[in-house]
Amino acid sequence: MIAEIQAGPRVPEAAPNILEVRNLRKSFGVHEVLKNINFAMRKGEVVAVIGPSGSGKSTLLRCLNQLEPASGGEITIDGLTIRADHQLRRAELMGLRRKAGMVFQSFNLFPHLSVLRNISLPQERVLGRSRAEAEKRAHALLERVGLADKASQYPARCSGGQQQRIAIARALALDPQVMLFDEPTSALDPEVGLEVLAVMKELAEGGMTMVVVTHEMHFAETVSDRVLLMADGHILEEGPSAEVMRNPKSERAQRFLKAVMNR
Amino acid sequence: MSWDFAILILSGLPWTIVVTIGAFAMGLILGAPLCAMHISRNPILHFLALAIIIFLRSIPPIVWVFLLFFGLGSGFISIGAIPATIIALGVVTAANMAEIYRGSLSSIHAGQWEAISALGLPPVSSFKDIILPQLFRVTLPSAASYLIGLFKDSAIASTVGVMDIAFLANFVARKSFDGLTPFAFAAVLYILISIPIALVARIADARLRQKVAQ
Ligand SMILES: Nc1ncnc2c1ncn2[C@@H]1O[C@H](COP(=O)(O)OP(=O)(O)OP(=O)(O)O)[C@@H](O)[C@H]1O
Ligand SMILES: [Mg+2]
Repeated sequence: MIAEIQAGPRVPEAAPNILEVRNLRKSFGVHEVLKNINFAMRKGEVVAVIGPSGSGKSTLLRCLNQLEPASGGEITIDGLTIRADHQLRRAELMGLRRKAGMVFQSFNLFPHLSVLRNISLPQERVLGRSRAEAEKRAHALLERVGLADKASQYPARCSGGQQQRIAIARALALDPQVMLFDEPTSALDPEVGLEVLAVMKELAEGGMTMVVVTHEMHFAETVSDRVLLMADGHILEEGPSAEVMRNPKSERAQRFLKAVMNR
Repeated sequence: MSWDFAILILSGLPWTIVVTIGAFAMGLILGAPLCAMHISRNPILHFLALAIIIFLRSIPPIVWVFLLFFGLGSGFISIGAIPATIIALGVVTAANMAEIYRGSLSSIHAGQWEAISALGLPPVSSFKDIILPQLFRVTLPSAASYLIGLFKDSAIASTVGVMDIAFLANFVARKSFDGLTPFAFAAVLYILISIPIALVARIADARLRQKVAQ
């Protein structure tokens, strides 16, 4: 009972690490955008990545599934390790991307495919599922994100919030181990963003491991287990959400949080 | 005056169509590798494609036809008037189609490529299922208007003796000493064929647009 009142960590301490980032570095030319990033996540954990614009949040996320090749260090996702100083084989790259699902700020649905086909086609082409199987899964996921009635529509006929929920369903359909979100609600009106955040919250409660780059401080504080606060390519502060957000240690973090909390 | 002349001029239509379709098909096909070379990260391929495109586009089509038919045909290789015209118009079309394809490719949102990568779609599927259908939609209007231009340009086949609409109109005009009627008839023919191409392209474009856009 007492333990419940204290609301201890949602994810058991003993849960194995599903994601590890060691000495990750990334440069664009001479510009070093990520400087020696280290962190690990346990299965089922939800980590929010916050920080000022240009601090390297998106780049970090994009390195995790190698949309940006890292310049140094290693990344392990669900037992698969990618080292920046090793030539990446195509099979490894595909394996990594299969383990990590990604949701973008701009949704990036395929405009010429129906909502259903957006979700079913990748399953057929990436996992080799049959069309019937893929469509069954797509319908189930649409149901789950509250868009069962949109299956035969085209994405352009859906609102931004609906498109983002479809994009989440499309990524989930490939059964990823980790979901990566890059500011999934930034392109949306606040009230529309809420329906996307609700889906993400449900996903988190269902035990999905999630890395969420976000400007939604409320989401970071209430849904995520841990917060990484980035600045200038470093992880400035890291810890349980409430701790980092309410009692930031460094002056730089205090300044950032004060600015965003007052918005 | 009887309508015999009209039937005679009309009999040139098949050759006009053969030259147009032949050159268009050649351009559609050869434009693809040319475009691929042009956007290649390999600098040799890139500059080679750039040089070919500039070279092909800088010479007027009629000079190409003469080069192939009178130039090459006068002793190097034997080439008929129809193949010479098709190749001459075809290579110019290839250069222009390469540029049209390149424009279409660059109009595809960067997010589409990112989604393809993040989902891990295999290359063949990425192209066939995602990129090609979107390319088709953006390429259709410019390709159709190029086709109409080509249809009219095919009249230069008449300068090397292909018995197309323009050639026969000229032939009738000389024989009948009436310059107006045969050429006016030819003009109407060209118009009557161009309009349906434009209409079909517009309808197809509108259909695709309606499906995809807001
Ligand atoms: N492809 C690229 N080429 C060159 N520089 C880049 C590239 N992508 C990002 N950068 C630079 O890297 C730095 C970090 O960018 P990043 O997008 O990761 O920041 P961010 O924390 O996500 O910012 P925001 O909150 O604005 O999204 C910026 O200075 C940016 O200009
Ligand atoms: Mg960003």
